[in-house]
Amino acid sequence: MNVSTRFLINRLGKQCAFNRIVTYSTKSTEHAAANAVETEKEPKIKETTASTASEASIPIRKPVIPANYRFIYPEFLPDPKIEWRNPIREKLERMDMLDRRRQIDLPEFYVGSIMAVTSSDPHAEGKVSRFVGICIHRDRCGLRARFILRNVIDHQGIEVIYELYDPTIQKVEVLRLEKRLDDSLFYLRDALPEYSTFDENMEAEQLEEGAPVPVNDIKVVLRPRPWLERWERQNLRGVANIDQYLKDKHRQSARRVQKPWEKYDLMKQYRATIPEEEQNEIFAEVYAELHAQELQRKRNKRKRTFVKPKQLA
Amino acid sequence: MNQADVSKLMSQLRIAIRPRHRNLKNKDGPEGRLLKLRKTVTALVKHERIELFYNRADEARGYAELLISNAIRHGDTHNATMEMADYWLLEKQLVHKLFKVLVPRYENYTVSYTRMFNAPRTYPGIYYKNSVLELRGNPYPSLIVDQSQNKNLLHNVLLDEARKEYRRKKLAELAQ
Repeated sequence: MNVSTRFLINRLGKQCAFNRIVTYSTKSTEHAAANAVETEKEPKIKETTASTASEASIPIRKPVIPANYRFIYPEFLPDPKIEWRNPIREKLERMDMLDRRRQIDLPEFYVGSIMAVTSSDPHAEGKVSRFVGICIHRDRCGLRARFILRNVIDHQGIEVIYELYDPTIQKVEVLRLEKRLDDSLFYLRDALPEYSTFDENMEAEQLEEGAPVPVNDIKVVLRPRPWLERWERQNLRGVANIDQYLKDKHRQSARRVQKPWEKYDLMKQYRATIPEEEQNEIFAEVYAELHAQELQRKRNKRKRTFVKPKQLA
Repeated sequence: MNQADVSKLMSQLRIAIRPRHRNLKNKDGPEGRLLKLRKTVTALVKHERIELFYNRADEARGYAELLISNAIRHGDTHNATMEMADYWLLEKQLVHKLFKVLVPRYENYTVSYTRMFNAPRTYPGIYYKNSVLELRGNPYPSLIVDQSQNKNLLHNVLLDEARKEYRRKKLAELAQ
């Protein structure tokens, strides 16, 4: 973890300064200095009354955190494993993440979205490489958050793992924002190549403002065995023809390893989640910054939509 | 570093939980473990105070807390919560108790819904620790002895002395 102490001190200093402004009004002290004739007590009383009045008049507003933030920014939630929790480390990491987000626009995306990532690559021509692909998996949290992009290039399946907060990433574009039926799409590796082939020169598709993220309910067609994983055991919803390749022994073994009681194991679920109160605390901390960035992104989008068509006569 | 599961929202528990579950030795594996715990949770909701081995009580406690907190959060019109209650409460009349008695009782609580005490171990006997698990607000007499009237406690001794001194002063004032 790289936390610059300078930055930290800056941040703390800012907070302290802000506190001082809130507790003592500088205006009234100047006023007191100017009117030296007045007794010492009077301005103080004035000051206190003024401050209380201003506090009373401004209602304390709590930020209304949208309910979908946990889906948009899952990496801001820490790892729920209790042994690995460390509130200070998590907070510092969140600050670093926001710092990175100030430098680069990291848009909302989900497993199933089609993305283009431009990153520095010392071996590439022009030292920059751009990879277009479908996001098949998202994992890890905090600064280590990463995602996997998949595409088929020259009849060869290619997957690239990107770390979301990697400083070598120069640009992240979401070409088509959508979700799929499953939480991870590793089965695309065993599907026909047409399901993970995407055009490199694809244009970004604009989604209507305020519209919910569409769910693409496409069912992929698997190629025959051998497969990389036993897909029949994973209760996949996005696979069309899995039954075609199953024999009775596969069905039986799949039935044998099912764990139908796990959906009732409340403590197991609790240990895998961050409780709502804690989530609210975390998102309240980063909301202002993220919201400002979202607004900026919206403004940029509007600008982009009014570009003059480049048609020559 | 795994991502937290965000598909479900749960309320924070007001009890300390262990990082890992206990296996609660049994031959049927995890399913048998859950059956054991279902029996315990059912007994807890039914009797409101039970005495059992510490490990099993501590495991069952979290499940009981979550069952109640989910019932408070979603109410009895939520299908998933109802299914959960149906699974965890083996006697079906207790489902009504959960939603009609326990939910109103605990709605405004800021502390945990259950309480656990260490209980004495029989000697000679099985080595396992014993404990008492109870729902808060149960109708039984409290397990904690009320010490506020014990005259040998230091603060009561001091209060007594202060009272005596006050009385002495008052008498001296009257005598003047």
